[in-house]
Amino acid sequence: MAAAGGGGGGGGRATTSGCGLKRRYAPHDQEEETMNQDQSSKEDWCGRLWNGMDLLKDVTENKHVLPTGLEGIDTLLGGGLRQGQLTEVTGPSSSGKTQVCLHSASHAAVKHMGVVMYLDTSNSFSPSRIATIIDGTNDLSDQRGFDLPHKERLKTMMRSIVCKSVFDIFGMFEVLHQLEVSLLNDKVKSGGRKICLLIVDSISSLLAPIIGGKYPQGTTLKPPSPPHRLYPGISRGRSMMISVAMILKKLAYKHNLSVLVTNHMVSAGNGAVKPALGESWKAVPHVRLVISREHGSNICTATVLKHTLLASGRTAKFVVPS
Amino acid sequence: MAAEAGRDPRAWLAVDETAAAFLSRLLSSRPPITLPPPLHRSPLRPGNVVEIAGPSNSGKSHLLLMAAVQCILPKEWEGIYFGGLGRAVMYLDLDCRFDVLRLAQILRNRIAEGCRSAHLRNGDPENDGTKDEFQCSLENTLFSDCMQRFLYARCCNSPEFISALKTVKSQSRREVSSAGIYFVMIDRHSIGAFYWIDRGSQPARENKGRTLQSITESVVHELRKLLQLQPALVLVTKAPIYGEGTTTANDFNRVSSKYILADSTGLGYSRQEEERTLSNREYMPSIWQSFVTHRINLQVEEAEVPSVLESEVLPVHTSEWVQPYLKTKGKFSIMDDGVSLIQ
Repeated sequence: MAAAGGGGGGGGRATTSGCGLKRRYAPHDQEEETMNQDQSSKEDWCGRLWNGMDLLKDVTENKHVLPTGLEGIDTLLGGGLRQGQLTEVTGPSSSGKTQVCLHSASHAAVKHMGVVMYLDTSNSFSPSRIATIIDGTNDLSDQRGFDLPHKERLKTMMRSIVCKSVFDIFGMFEVLHQLEVSLLNDKVKSGGRKICLLIVDSISSLLAPIIGGKYPQGTTLKPPSPPHRLYPGISRGRSMMISVAMILKKLAYKHNLSVLVTNHMVSAGNGAVKPALGESWKAVPHVRLVISREHGSNICTATVLKHTLLASGRTAKFVVPS
Repeated sequence: MAAEAGRDPRAWLAVDETAAAFLSRLLSSRPPITLPPPLHRSPLRPGNVVEIAGPSNSGKSHLLLMAAVQCILPKEWEGIYFGGLGRAVMYLDLDCRFDVLRLAQILRNRIAEGCRSAHLRNGDPENDGTKDEFQCSLENTLFSDCMQRFLYARCCNSPEFISALKTVKSQSRREVSSAGIYFVMIDRHSIGAFYWIDRGSQPARENKGRTLQSITESVVHELRKLLQLQPALVLVTKAPIYGEGTTTANDFNRVSSKYILADSTGLGYSRQEEERTLSNREYMPSIWQSFVTHRINLQVEEAEVPSVLESEVLPVHTSEWVQPYLKTKGKFSIMDDGVSLIQ
């Protein structure tokens, strides 16, 4: 990976390239390092030119749709959360965002679709709730179709949900980096359960504090020492946000993950509300949903803000069972 | 050359080619391209660099997809006229937001439409919407032919982008046996992304040499080299950047303009437009700005998030050619399989 510090992954060796690379701008003493880095990125890069049919094949074969288990949302999304895409669920507080996340996690566990990684920023992950949801589903058979006793079933399903707490952006970078490394290592050995869904609840509580206008050039948010060598060049709030976004999308695409993030709402002046994280974030997710809940009821409404395939603006109601 | 001229100055003044010959050579090697609306108002030729700017959700990537479909469809196939260019398209995705299913959807709709209209013209009364096996396989062959001409690459950061540009030529020769790339599309909606990352890396390491200026310079250099070897039309999307301090100012503007709207609609509207143009400030280095030959701005009429939108009413997008400057603004809306002009 060109971004992950120097010639890390596969670019240690110096190879001769067919076309003579010329560096216009690197000063001579840096030329060696940048040449290696450039070659390493070219090495990483070769063979990544896809054509349309290859892309289609990859999407239909590798990137499945993970249903969330909530019918209304699944119809809105055209089946569910697609692997390789980043889906954002936004809404005012206590509108059901965490419930959507918990439901998706449980559904993925019940249907044995793979391991779910749940990154929790506000201690909203509740194992008892997951157990309730799993108990509530009808179809509870083992992966191979055998019938296990109830407790065993619950255990194996809950074991496939991994929950990690992250409280700031640097912790997030660490976790993502570890995930990346472990996924790259997993590619070598076969078998085992692969991760299929990554949930970040909520990403806005990590990003919102750093992208506001309060962090000018000389930022007061000090990165932990030693300085972040994993992702160099990150020292500004908004660049961190975009870096996180790119890392998530890259993970989603390369390892066939579906990424679900939640966002909260801020006021847009004159009583209206809009999703947080501003304009720069608007371009990041593939699919954006807004959900809202009437006070004191179980019925939530979801609207599609943006979708790569389907028209936006459609609404659906779904019920969050209690 | 000077020495030769010294020997025979008259040779210098000899005519290389007449203007007529020049024009005919140019028109044959770089014929004008008609892109689907709203990009059709300005004549474009390979070698031009078009920058499509606009806020999020204004239809920029959709325009790129439309132009890509237009390019990869053949001009005529099995007697059916499609009006495409039949050349290859290189799509560089800096955003990682490309959905191949969307491209497939648009392409299939275009092919189906073309076949349907051809049948109507041929007067086939038996084919009332039901397609037979032969028809399906025909469409599928055409579909896969067209998709083969679509080349895609995704880059996650600037060094990857630059190395992608460097290797595009050699790699594409392997993939596409025919004439080669005709369109280069760069989807950098969050060029802001690289902008912030590169800007962020500036003071952190002084000796790194990867300032925004230098990266843009190398990008432009590579693109120019590519265009010299292979004249192509370059379409780039761009999103406006909101400075660190201006977000709050924009919010204030929006709040105050709403209040003014209650009093006099005319004043309120102009204030909103003004704030929109304020936010479109140019943030790319001048070397990029001089590289771009055409500019078009897209906007959506509704600025806020609509909570409930009727299915019949589609949001209206406006397009405005900034360079070369055209006074009229086009209006269009995005349908499932294309773009329909309103006016």
